[in-house]
Amino acid sequence: MGPTTETTTEPVVDPATSAPARTKPPAPPTTANQRRAQRGSAAGLLANLALILYFAFSLLPVLFIVALSLKTNAEQTTTYLWFTPTLENYQTVLGLGDGGSSYVRFFFASLATSTGAVLVSLLIGIPAAYAAARYRFKGSEDLMFTLLSFRFAPELVVIIPLGVIYQQIGLYDTIFGMVWVLQLVTMPLVVWILRSFFQDLPAELEEAALLDGYTRRQAFLKIVLPLVRPGIAAVCLLAFIFAWNNFIFPFTLTSGDAQTVTVSSLAFLGGNQVRFNLVAAGAVMAVLPPLVLALCIQRYLVRGLSFGAVKG
Amino acid sequence: MATIDVRSVRKTFGKLVALDDVSFSVNDGEFFCLLGPSGAGKTTTLKSIAGLVQPDSGEVWLGGQDAGDIEPNHRNLAMCFESYALYPQHNVFDNMASPLRSPVLRLPDAEVRERVGRTAEMLGVGHLLDRGVDQLSNGQRQRVALGRVLVRPANAYLLDEPLAHLDAKLRTSMRAELKRIAHGELNTTTVYVTHDYVEALSLADRIGVIKDGRILQVGTPQQVWDTPETAFVAQAFGKPRISFVSGGLVSDNGTIRFISSDGAITIPVPGLDTGAAAGESVRIGIRPRDLVLHTGAGDQPASHERLDGVVYVLEHLGRQTEVTVRIGESLVSVVAPRGDVGGLAVDDKVSLLLDPATVHVFGDSDDGRRLTR
Repeated sequence: MGPTTETTTEPVVDPATSAPARTKPPAPPTTANQRRAQRGSAAGLLANLALILYFAFSLLPVLFIVALSLKTNAEQTTTYLWFTPTLENYQTVLGLGDGGSSYVRFFFASLATSTGAVLVSLLIGIPAAYAAARYRFKGSEDLMFTLLSFRFAPELVVIIPLGVIYQQIGLYDTIFGMVWVLQLVTMPLVVWILRSFFQDLPAELEEAALLDGYTRRQAFLKIVLPLVRPGIAAVCLLAFIFAWNNFIFPFTLTSGDAQTVTVSSLAFLGGNQVRFNLVAAGAVMAVLPPLVLALCIQRYLVRGLSFGAVKG
Repeated sequence: MATIDVRSVRKTFGKLVALDDVSFSVNDGEFFCLLGPSGAGKTTTLKSIAGLVQPDSGEVWLGGQDAGDIEPNHRNLAMCFESYALYPQHNVFDNMASPLRSPVLRLPDAEVRERVGRTAEMLGVGHLLDRGVDQLSNGQRQRVALGRVLVRPANAYLLDEPLAHLDAKLRTSMRAELKRIAHGELNTTTVYVTHDYVEALSLADRIGVIKDGRILQVGTPQQVWDTPETAFVAQAFGKPRISFVSGGLVSDNGTIRFISSDGAITIPVPGLDTGAAAGESVRIGIRPRDLVLHTGAGDQPASHERLDGVVYVLEHLGRQTEVTVRIGESLVSVVAPRGDVGGLAVDDKVSLLLDPATVHVFGDSDDGRRLTR
C-alpha cells in the first residue's frame, strides 16, 4: 500500500508533485484508534492465554494417561512427568512378552460388538428416524418418548432381569447377545438425532422426486439419504463411542468370550499388585478405534454435528 | 395429454378445512388458472391432483380414469413447486435431467442432453447447467424448477406460482414465453396456480377463482371480468380495485333504482335478475375504468348518470391518475388521463359519469351473489 506503488502505477502523475508523497509517512492513526488497538490486542492476548490454559487443562488427563502407560511399576505412583519411559507395559498388555494376556481378543470383541451395534441401529434406525420425521400418527410421539426413555433409564434397573434372561436363553457371553444389548444404547441416539435431520429436509423434495417418476424407495435412497450423510456420519461416531465405552452391560453379561476392553482392564487392578500403568496402556490403545473412525469421517463431522441443530 | 376432473374434493388438516367441495374440470390441452389469495387452498388442490395429498372425500379423474389408486409417480404429471424443491446435491443439469432419467421415462443420454439444453436455453439458464443449486439466485432457481417441468413430456403440467419470485421485468417476459410454450409448442394441459390476476387473465383459457377452499367461479377471462358471480370475484380482478357502495333497491314508477345507504348515490339499475326485488339491501360494484371524470366541458351523454362528490385522494401514476372520490360516505375510485386532472386538488368538487349498464349488483356481503344478468 506504499506511495511508491502509487507513483509507479500512475505514470501520469507529475514526478515533482509525487516526490514529496513518496517520502511522506502514512497518516498516523488517531490516538483513540491507537488506544483501541492496544486494548484489542491486550484482550486478544488474554483470550488466547485463557484458551491455551483451557487447552492444557483439558488435555492434561490425556497426557497423564499416556505418561502413565510408559512408566515402570516402580515409578507409576512416585513420579509425575519425569521418568524413564518404557514400552514394557504395552508388551505386557498385548501379551508379547510372556503371552499371558488376552487383551487382543477383548479388543476384537469390543470392535465386533460396537460395530455390530452401530450397524444394527443404523439399519433399523435410519428408516425408523425417517418414518418418525415424516409420518405423524396417534401415539407417534409416545413411541418416540419410549425410545428415548431407553437412554435415560439407568441401565442398572434392567441389568439383573437381563442377566437372568441372557443366562436362560443362552445369550450370556456371546457377541450376538452383546450386539443386541448395546443396540439398546445406540438405537435411541440414532433415531432421535437422525429424525431432526430428516425433519429439516422439506418433504417437497421427495414429492418432486415422486412426480419425476421415482418410487418412494428410490426417492428416499437417491434424494433424501445423500442429504443426511453428515448426520449419519456424526451419529455413527457418537453411537460407536457410546457402545465402545459401555461398561455395565459387558461387565454383567460377559465373562470371557465376549468380554470387552473396558471390562478386561479391571483385571490389571486385581491380584497381588495394582497395575495402573497396564490399565493406562490398555486405555491408550482402546482410544484408537473411535479416534480412527473420527478421522475417517472428519469431512462430514463438523457439518453433521452442527447441521441438525439449526433450521436452515 | 389428458383431461383433469376434480370432483367434490374435500380435505381437512386437523380442524382446518383446506378444500371444501372443490370441483372443476380441465379440458385436454387447456390452460387453467387457479386464482386466489394465499391460504385459499390452491397448492392443496394441485397436490390433490398430483396425488401428493389424499383427499378426505371426492375424486380426481385423469384422462377419464379415476386416479385414486394411481401412485404419484405413475400419474405422469409434472409439477413445479412454489418452494422450487430442487435437489440440493445435484447441479442444474442433473436437476432438470432427473425426470428424464427416472424409471418411468428413462430416455437415452443423448436425448436427455438435447432436451435439457433446449429447455435451459429457452428459460435463460443455459449458462448455469454446471452450477450447484445453492449458487443460484431465487429467480434462477425458479426458472430451473420450471425447466424441470417443461423438459419432459407429461399428461399435464401443474405449476404452483412459477413466476412469483422473478423480478417484475423478467416476470413479464417469462409470462409471454410461458404463454407461447403452453398454447403453441407443447399444448399440454396445464393447471397454473397464482395470486396475480394479471397472470391469470393473460395466460388462462379459463380461470377458477378460489377462496377459503371453495371455488367461487370458473369461467373464461372474459366471463370472470364481465360477469363476476360474487363480490369477491369482482374484487379479485383489476387495479385499482372495483369500488363497492352499499345500499338498497327501491321501486320508482316501475323501474328499480339503487340508493346508497346515505342517499348520496341514486342510479337506475337495469338488467336485474328476476330474483332481485325492491327493498333488498345490496351493494353495487363500479369498475374504476367504467367511470369518466366529468370536467365540465361538453354535455353528458343521455345514457349516463352523473354523480357529484369531492376529491379524497389523488395518486399520480405516470400517464394516468387514480382519483378516489368521496360521494356522501362512499369512496369511489376512477382512473383518469393525466391531462384531465391537471388543476385538481384534494377536496375539490368533481362529477363522475357512469353508464348504469356497467354497474354490477351483488348481495350485500363479500359472498354476495351477483344480481345483474
